[in-house]
Amino acid sequence: MYYIHKIASITHQDSFNQTDVNDSLVEIAEDTVLISPDYKKYVLPASLRRLSPILRMAVAAAKECQEAITIPVEAISVGTALGCLTDTEKFLNVINTVEGEILSPTAFIQSTHNTIAGLISLELKNHSYNMTHTQNNLSLEMALIDSMLCCDEGKEFVLLGVADEAIDFLNKLKPIVLPENSIVTSGTTFFALSKKKSTAEIGFLACNSIIKPKGVEVEIVLFLRELKIEINEIDRVYTNQNSLDFPKEIVVNYEAYSGLYFTANAFGVHMAHDWLIKTAKKYALIVNSGCNNSLGLILLKNDKAQN
Amino acid sequence: MEIFITGYGVISSIGTNVEENLSSLMQERTAIKQGLNSYTSKFKVGEVALSNDALKSAFDLKTDGSRTALLGMVAAKEAFKNHSHFNALRTGLISGTSVGGMDISEVEYRKEMAGEKPNYKKYFHHPSGTTSEQIATEIGITGFVNTISTACSSAANAIMMGARLIQSGQLDRVVVGGTDCLTQFTIYGFRSLMIFDDEWCKPFDNSRKGLNLGEGAGFLVLESKKSLEITGKEVLAKLSGWSNASDAYHQTASSPDGDGAILSMKQALKQARLEPHEINYVNAHGTATPNNDLSESKAFINVFNGKVPPFSSTKSYTGHTLAASGGIESVFAILSIQNGLLFPNLNHTSPIEETGLIPIINIQKNIEVTHVLSNSFGFGGNNSTLIFSKI
Amino acid sequence: MSELKEKLKTQIIEQLNLEDLTIADIKNDSPLFGDEGLGLDSIDALEFIVLLDSYYGIKIDDPAIAKEIFHSVDSMADFIESKK
Repeated sequence: MYYIHKIASITHQDSFNQTDVNDSLVEIAEDTVLISPDYKKYVLPASLRRLSPILRMAVAAAKECQEAITIPVEAISVGTALGCLTDTEKFLNVINTVEGEILSPTAFIQSTHNTIAGLISLELKNHSYNMTHTQNNLSLEMALIDSMLCCDEGKEFVLLGVADEAIDFLNKLKPIVLPENSIVTSGTTFFALSKKKSTAEIGFLACNSIIKPKGVEVEIVLFLRELKIEINEIDRVYTNQNSLDFPKEIVVNYEAYSGLYFTANAFGVHMAHDWLIKTAKKYALIVNSGCNNSLGLILLKNDKAQN
Repeated sequence: MEIFITGYGVISSIGTNVEENLSSLMQERTAIKQGLNSYTSKFKVGEVALSNDALKSAFDLKTDGSRTALLGMVAAKEAFKNHSHFNALRTGLISGTSVGGMDISEVEYRKEMAGEKPNYKKYFHHPSGTTSEQIATEIGITGFVNTISTACSSAANAIMMGARLIQSGQLDRVVVGGTDCLTQFTIYGFRSLMIFDDEWCKPFDNSRKGLNLGEGAGFLVLESKKSLEITGKEVLAKLSGWSNASDAYHQTASSPDGDGAILSMKQALKQARLEPHEINYVNAHGTATPNNDLSESKAFINVFNGKVPPFSSTKSYTGHTLAASGGIESVFAILSIQNGLLFPNLNHTSPIEETGLIPIINIQKNIEVTHVLSNSFGFGGNNSTLIFSKI
Repeated sequence: MSELKEKLKTQIIEQLNLEDLTIADIKNDSPLFGDEGLGLDSIDALEFIVLLDSYYGIKIDDPAIAKEIFHSVDSMADFIESKK
């Protein structure tokens, strides 16, 4: 088990530093906006002035997690599907509009995917392992697999996180590249992970990511069989899929609350985490399936479960 | 657990396969010159001389993708040639890239800004993750596919990730490396940082001005012992050490004393259970920017206690291929071990004043090369070191 | 000259997104870089080069000499004047 010692999400829901994110959920609507904390509490003004929304929210969520565990994390593993889109688009505009040779560099510097994890190391003054994974909708799974490895290799605390940001341009890609009825949103979730239990109850038990799966149902059966868990032991399923072979009453569509960003399954994990605490149930499965024929499976377990 | 390397592939401006790259390295022949395309013609770059269509037909590529993906397919295919698929082996692919499909996106974006009708379908190729999925499709790998994006250390980190997944038993065999093509986005980006040399770059030279950009891809096949028993492949070399550390100093600049570089080199040596004096050759990150080369030189002096082994930056041949550099230079490290060669650092005339370190100036042959250390450092202070060893 | 300095301050605030500062917060002779000044860094130095090019048509191609020019608003104004 890889215990979740702290979890922090900034999304279009009022999710930051809530005891139970499920309490104040509303279904996502077209006119929804990111609900941001006061970033000045997390980043000095001299640094904050340059930061795009994705960098601001990721640093704030990461710092919340680091502060909650007091000792410095020994690895930072971040997943992002599309990276720093605001700065990428800004620099595309710069190179296509500015005549002459002298160009503003700031957007370029902050356009690379690893600006997020790099900035977190800078803000935390952390010299440890620092990794950025980008695998479309499996970016959380990849960052999580790396975090689990780091824990297995003896690192006491690992900072795991995901972040993705919406820009208006993404709406132009509907319905060709993105699903027609999707509401494109931004969001970040960070976790402080450790194999040490101490006061934590909920943890990641397993994660699997598959390109070209044999079929969602088949892969779920194989995944659970490997863990020696029966399908009917799953108490809740969080998914972005419409039809899964589970009783309707235990299936929650996280995307209805997160909106569409390709690491939104991390918000599904957050919802599942808070639900397990509240209900003292044992297992929650997060099923994330993408249009590029890929599947991510994450199983959360509650040690304090009554059954 | 030992990590065996049983395949390698590379495409860069100095050659479209391992053999051609080796030949250029031995003949001290750079391929950095005035670019061939509209977006490269004003600059000195290490460009692969084949167009996308030429790449597809020359290498019989069946999967469509960005130039980054196509370059990756060429190198991954070479690395994985003569390898077969086995049901008993879990085989994965991990690729590093920083630009992904930007070469396609920037053209569509410019069209739209100019009032032309864009083809939004083309943005399908944009995500870096898609690049890796396309490479995996081309060589028939399904299941575990991952992309690392840590700027110029991406490929080195992809190789490291693959080794760790083998070590933990999650994979038996993995194709690892990186790919990046030249784009207007990156060329103008590095120019905006004013670390671009309009002449040939001079790594570790006192008068160095900055880098030349390049493009290409480099991939390796890593296997566990269990996998070797099934594949029966010949082992080219071992990956004996790896490490990644954060400089945590500045968004782009390296710390003056190379703190992150020192950490990553020391940790990699420790993991390989090697003493600094056992390293026979260092393939440096050596971008030829004033900041990197000084900082890396100081880190060498620190890690090697003043007795710095023969070192060079092969970016003077290929240009800085960004996310691909760690993959391409890993292939060069293995070639050094296999052929007993130390590759020179071109364009060097005077040592950096502060350090006095002189890199390898001419090709060195018939050297017993047992351990090679290879550095890759990225934006955001992402420092990685790999150590390759003779089998 | 003082008019130029006031204009420069407005441009600096805009170019560097110093949204929390006003013209009054930037003294003519205090250092712009480092912790004792405004806390600007090497990325800002590059933005200053962009500023000089786009507003004043002055090109600097060696970032190393930029440090002296961009020491303070005073030194920047002197440099711009000397190029007129």
